[in-house]
Amino acid sequence: MLTFLRRRVVSSAIPLVVVVLGVFYLARLTGDPANLYLPLSATAEMRAEFAARHGFDQPLLVQFGDYLAQVVRLDFGESLRTAEPAANAVLRAFPATLQLAGATMILAILGAVVVGSWAAYRPNSLADRVASFTSTTAASMPDFWFAIMGVLVFSVALGWLPTSGTESMSAWVLPVLTLLIRPFGVLVQVVRGAMVTALSAPYIKVARSKGASELRVVFGHALRNAAPPALTVAGDLAVGLVNGAVVVETIFGWPGIGKLMITSILQRDFAVLQAAVLVTAITIFALNIVIDACYALLDSRVRQGVTA
Amino acid sequence: MITTPRRRQAASAFLALGTLLSVGACSVANSGPEPSSGGGAAASTVRIVLPEEPPTLEPCDASLTATGRVTRANITEALTERDPSSGQLQPALSTEWKQDSPTEWTFTLRKGVKFHDGTAFDAKAAAFSIERTLGSKVDCNVNGYVFGGIKLTATATDDVTLKVKTAKPDPILPLRLSFVEIVPTTTNATGKVREPVGTGPYKIAKWDAGRSLRLERFPGYWGKAPDFAAAEYVWRGEGSIRAAMIKSDEADIAVGLAPEDGAGDSAVQFPNNETSYLRIDAAKPPLNDVRVRQAINYAIDKDGLVASVFAGLGKPAGQLVPEGVTGHSPAIQPWPYDMAQAKKLIADAKAAGVATDTPITIIGRNGIYPKAAEAMEVVQNSLTEAGLSVKIQMLDVNAWLEYLLRPFPKDAGPTLLQAQHGNQAGDAAFTMGQIYGTKGGQSSFGTPELDDLITAGEQASGEARQTAFAKALDYQNKDVVRDAVLAHMTGILALSKKVTYKPNAATNDEMRLAELHPAG
Repeated sequence: MLTFLRRRVVSSAIPLVVVVLGVFYLARLTGDPANLYLPLSATAEMRAEFAARHGFDQPLLVQFGDYLAQVVRLDFGESLRTAEPAANAVLRAFPATLQLAGATMILAILGAVVVGSWAAYRPNSLADRVASFTSTTAASMPDFWFAIMGVLVFSVALGWLPTSGTESMSAWVLPVLTLLIRPFGVLVQVVRGAMVTALSAPYIKVARSKGASELRVVFGHALRNAAPPALTVAGDLAVGLVNGAVVVETIFGWPGIGKLMITSILQRDFAVLQAAVLVTAITIFALNIVIDACYALLDSRVRQGVTA
Repeated sequence: MITTPRRRQAASAFLALGTLLSVGACSVANSGPEPSSGGGAAASTVRIVLPEEPPTLEPCDASLTATGRVTRANITEALTERDPSSGQLQPALSTEWKQDSPTEWTFTLRKGVKFHDGTAFDAKAAAFSIERTLGSKVDCNVNGYVFGGIKLTATATDDVTLKVKTAKPDPILPLRLSFVEIVPTTTNATGKVREPVGTGPYKIAKWDAGRSLRLERFPGYWGKAPDFAAAEYVWRGEGSIRAAMIKSDEADIAVGLAPEDGAGDSAVQFPNNETSYLRIDAAKPPLNDVRVRQAINYAIDKDGLVASVFAGLGKPAGQLVPEGVTGHSPAIQPWPYDMAQAKKLIADAKAAGVATDTPITIIGRNGIYPKAAEAMEVVQNSLTEAGLSVKIQMLDVNAWLEYLLRPFPKDAGPTLLQAQHGNQAGDAAFTMGQIYGTKGGQSSFGTPELDDLITAGEQASGEARQTAFAKALDYQNKDVVRDAVLAHMTGILALSKKVTYKPNAATNDEMRLAELHPAG
């Protein structure tokens, strides 16, 4: 198991380095930040002073060296836009995204396990057809449209929920529902498919012949064997959410990392962008390790490095 | 098979994750402003939803819209202030001023004014604030926008007298100083401050970064106390959500709306001080031929553009300097729509050997105003009908800025740049040199004659200044034809029934909370 984890850590660290390097260089190829931060009527001298003060007049390699030296000291620089430490902005936004993503994934997984298993228990039954139709619709729902319609119906017309914000628990409902709908749809389909296969396996017949209850058969025996493919898909979906749900964060005014990154890109706020990418990449890196470890725990062939 | 201990571990992990999330959820839920009656804040609190969070409330960045509309005249004040309706300069922290010589001014300051931290406002604070704004160490936006390299010194001769000396004669120095927000001498002189101390009617109560900002009435304010005891700002990037927040009683004022945001009856229109135009790259063929530039102006149906694309929000325009700004020329009318004349001019130019079939690129900017791409498609269609070959390239802000500002891209070919200009300072000097001067930062073409006219305007004062700049604008419009001006634009905000407010040309850049009143 330790060998397996060590191998995964090394192989996942390479993309992390590539992402950090890529963001640093690509961000600097997209225009002079002085154009954005100084007024249009600023003189050439003001632009030159701005560039010199922030080190943008240095060769890219020198800038990268300075950046690395700062990062080693856990100094991520200062935001050009807000004049506060970049780390503050990122550490403020990231927990908001993690909370939203965590709540969404827990609800999506729980919902998908129940609905997917229910559909798979009697394939082609009415329940199965309803679940398949619902999950397909959910998986193909445009989140932007769903969010706006949710606001119009539940906030404007019915007045049950706030349109946006983070001030109350009820403000969580629409963002979580909007984020939830797609992963839920996808996971129901995956769980259903895996459970149909698992429930028709010989060991299920053995379990039933030994007198195991149906609840134990479905959730104790079949679900364990159906879990790996669902875990893989859930992991991918979780990674997407950790990256920031830009549409949801923008519409609902959720102060998360996705919105912060987009603003940093548009405003060429390099320090914040780099800090946000680094923190996100490390989290995704860690999340992938956790998913791989779970996968290994569930499947001994993975743990022992055996290809299926 | 899963062993029992493993199952227990999994259950524990799940429980721990759930607890972590619920604790986090509570921390988010509790971190916002305190709820009260009326679906949001107390009745004496006005709730404002902005398109974006102010990046900072730094007073010397108050010429930035996102900062200025919260900071200016609310948290901090300047020595003078411009009335957006009349264009006249009014006393603020300075009660009177006089020009002692072409380069020397004396400002008499208001007595009995206190900063939010209790310290007294005096001439030293005024001199410090001017020095701080013009000092290059802070990268103040106001410095580049208003002063543009002008050198001056400010000296306090006593508590209420400030002497300002400029390196060159500057007839509009008091107007420029209306952008310098006054801060106490304890303010950081070498770095920006996010939460400034000022003399304004409101002070910062709490800035919950990312979520909300609350200002509360300053009890020690020197002037009349504003009606609302507090103002609570939140920000939502999506216009339809801002409009919906008025309907759901979560906000009293929603700023920066577009017609399609659905504000309905709560929408209020106002001239937003912006003028849309196309900058013609007149240095490159075929745009270097004045007939082609005139044809572009004749070919665009500005009335149709405003009526259809801008949903009637705007007024066809012929110049970048709107009414109410010193230098506006009443003689300039929007170019009439005359497709036959446009076709004739292009044909004449072609007959004279001008390569009118050279591809011209419209450099557009997404979101520069509502329906920006659609507006450029209308222009492209009109110019194609007139006989030109036109394509469109829509860019994001930073890529577009590369075309707007010097040095321009060398291999761009002939371009028409989609642009918009707002003269929030109220004097044509803040338009002419940078946009029409041969060396202007945003100017792709100018003439020595026009430069002379602009310089004459910059050096004049009083009525002569108005006449001189109007003359320069007339000359530009008739003889240079560097632009195709489209329309003076109209902004939209939404108001709840609980608040009365009359927006004006300055509303986009400074929303004075003292001008908001409870309805009824």
